[in-house]
Amino acid sequence: MQKSILIKAFSNPLALAGFIIIIIMFLLAILAPWLAPYDPDAFDVKAILLTPSWQHWMGTDGLGRDVLSRMLYGGRISLLVGLVAVGISTAIGIILGALAGYYRGWVDTVIMRLVDIMLSIPSFFLILAVIAFLTPSIVNIMVVIGLTSWMGVTRLVRAEFLSLSNREFVLASRSLGAKDARLIFTHLLPNSLTPIIVSSVLGVAGAVLLESGLSFLGLGVQAPQASWGNILTDGKEYIQFAWWLSLYPGMAILLTVLGYNLLGEGLRDALDPRSQSS
Amino acid sequence: MTALLISSCLALSACRQQPDPIDYSKAHPGESGSTLISAMAAEPSSLIFMIAGESASAEIASNLFNSLLTYNAQLDIKGELANSWEVSNQQKTITFKLKPNLKWADGKPLTSADVLFTWQLVTDENTRSPYASDFQLVTKAEAPDALTFIVTYNQAYAPALDSWSSLHILPKHLLEGQDIRTANFARNPIGSHYYKLSQWKHGENIKLSRNPYSVLGQANIEQLITRIIPDNSAQFLELMADNIDSMGLDPIKYSRIIPTRPSLQKNLNLYKALGNSYTYLGFNLKHKPFNDIRVRKAINYAIDKQEIIDGVFLGLGINIASPYKPGTRWSNPALKPASFNPSKAKALLKEAGFVDANGDGTLERDGKPFAFEIITNQNKEREKSAVIIQRRLKEIGIDVKIRAIEWASFISRFINTGEFDVVILGWGLGLDPDQYSIWHSSQQSPGQFNFLGYNNATVDKLLEQGRTELNPDKRQAIYHAFAEQLLADSPIVYLSAGYGLTAIHKRVQGIANPTPPAGVGYDSQKWFIPKSYRRNQISAH
Repeated sequence: MQKSILIKAFSNPLALAGFIIIIIMFLLAILAPWLAPYDPDAFDVKAILLTPSWQHWMGTDGLGRDVLSRMLYGGRISLLVGLVAVGISTAIGIILGALAGYYRGWVDTVIMRLVDIMLSIPSFFLILAVIAFLTPSIVNIMVVIGLTSWMGVTRLVRAEFLSLSNREFVLASRSLGAKDARLIFTHLLPNSLTPIIVSSVLGVAGAVLLESGLSFLGLGVQAPQASWGNILTDGKEYIQFAWWLSLYPGMAILLTVLGYNLLGEGLRDALDPRSQSS
Repeated sequence: MTALLISSCLALSACRQQPDPIDYSKAHPGESGSTLISAMAAEPSSLIFMIAGESASAEIASNLFNSLLTYNAQLDIKGELANSWEVSNQQKTITFKLKPNLKWADGKPLTSADVLFTWQLVTDENTRSPYASDFQLVTKAEAPDALTFIVTYNQAYAPALDSWSSLHILPKHLLEGQDIRTANFARNPIGSHYYKLSQWKHGENIKLSRNPYSVLGQANIEQLITRIIPDNSAQFLELMADNIDSMGLDPIKYSRIIPTRPSLQKNLNLYKALGNSYTYLGFNLKHKPFNDIRVRKAINYAIDKQEIIDGVFLGLGINIASPYKPGTRWSNPALKPASFNPSKAKALLKEAGFVDANGDGTLERDGKPFAFEIITNQNKEREKSAVIIQRRLKEIGIDVKIRAIEWASFISRFINTGEFDVVILGWGLGLDPDQYSIWHSSQQSPGQFNFLGYNNATVDKLLEQGRTELNPDKRQAIYHAFAEQLLADSPIVYLSAGYGLTAIHKRVQGIANPTPPAGVGYDSQKWFIPKSYRRNQISAH
């Protein structure tokens, strides 16, 4: 079954393109230490703001650091933040959604009101407010993004659980004496995976954008560590002059987000029989 | 309708392109009128400078208020509101004689009663002015008649005249009986200088127009608009689009961007002046291990200042060893900055007990790794300096983190509470060499300037002597000795004395050339914009 889903997903050329983009981005990030021509933090005060050339394919920044090397290492941060943040938000979402959908009653009411409260606060400002009290660092960014973006998954899981728990196989299992844990982990959860996977893949795109936004505002990854967002901030200073500092990180963010979105949409089309478009 | 729209757009774009380039080199007689638009990054919190104490406030308020004294182009004291002044009683008494017929912008007379009132205000505990200490030394102030103001000090006070040149005189008839910290006056001031406030749109701009009662005559330029544009690159875009006439530049814009753009060079004059300011790395001397002089010296040796000057300031900086503008008499030429010497730095750290026992590349003492955070405000040059320093310190085994914080919380959460290890900041200094408020051990309470916690009895004594010594040569010797002691103690690492870099549109004429010691902005009331160069005239072509 899994195999056929992948084949189905990748028969959609856009989803395949998204998948390839993501794979390339990951390869570049993982292989950064071997691919990067320079130390990403090594500055050279005699080579400030050089235009792209054979020595520096993507030019140099305001401290003479090689932009290509910083882009490669920055990719590691951006992709890692995306994955870990979504991992955290998905885990929280699954647990709370499962509790609400399975036990219903007051548990459901409490969790869903919590979701409503969280959703009523604009998430970017919530994150900004939380970060203002913490020291900005990669770990904090990942945790904060994760802790503030689990509401969608919770709602999805709850809805799946609500609809699944009245299905015959669940009722049958329950009447045979299966315990709550067995019902949740062997019946309900595996059958709810499809929307979770899709929303997680799409969620990574959002998390990558959020991290870039925070780093751009100086609240994310801190110097000297590179991330696409803070390379973009440096670029803003010299946007009329050093286009390469804005163009390349901008492109990288665009491609990554596009890749995740294409992949997510493709997976949804392949996995969800109701949204078969062709 | 569509046709109309299109044609109006065409007309607009034609106006913007300005087909005939204007030749700004023609000489013009001084012509009165027009508007000068400048940009500033931070909005003043108040236009009463004795309370605000920030450069944004000074920039606007110095066009609105007069002081008793001021400086001429060569930085010698001259009278502003005062016609003359006389020092007597073994240098303890100063008698100021005001110019006759002075008026406030609302037409009311300005007399010595206003000066006396201002002195009472600045020394009042409730005012909580950071400049109060200068004026609290006055034991007696009196205004025997409308044109005479007499102050008496306990003992001779050398920076006295300088302090009176920076105190803006405020109107008694508008402020008497009010709480200065909450008075509406801070937002709606009435002064006596060339301009008066005509509009203040929060977060947008501050408009000043000529004050008809100006006590020093009339300025040429009719209106000064200061636009508040926090982002330097946004300011620069406005400068390129010719929406502002002047702005401060960073070194990259000054020496890299503008010289490569003929269109900018054609329209802009650039000014460079060594400022009376420097950037430094300062240690919190109350925190371990920075209370250990060997650690401070080691860090000083580990930082290559020339690299920072070249890399961050693009050569537009000077490596200094005393806290005074290089080339002035107060700067001690015998002092040399610590050289870049990592091995010496390592030896000093070893002496202080820091060794890399576990071989992870970071030094430890008592099992704790040597790690600290450098904090700075969101200033690109300072952030870049921090990155360079971070790298150099890593090479000798110190793990440094960098944090750039927005100015208001930087001051309230870190500087005023003393909760920081190391800062990168700058000092902009006055013309008098007195640095009592920065380095004297008594100036350490929150809000005061000795937030590093520097405490040296010799320096305290020198600073006290310097304030009471009126002989310039003896004063020079005192401040040379002070700078020497400061360098030996290394409470700060001098990073660079910087240049003030300014771009002003060529339509603005009458700017003193070459730039006098008093700076580009000196005598700006003589600046003018010839009629044919004015904005609305150009767009009407």
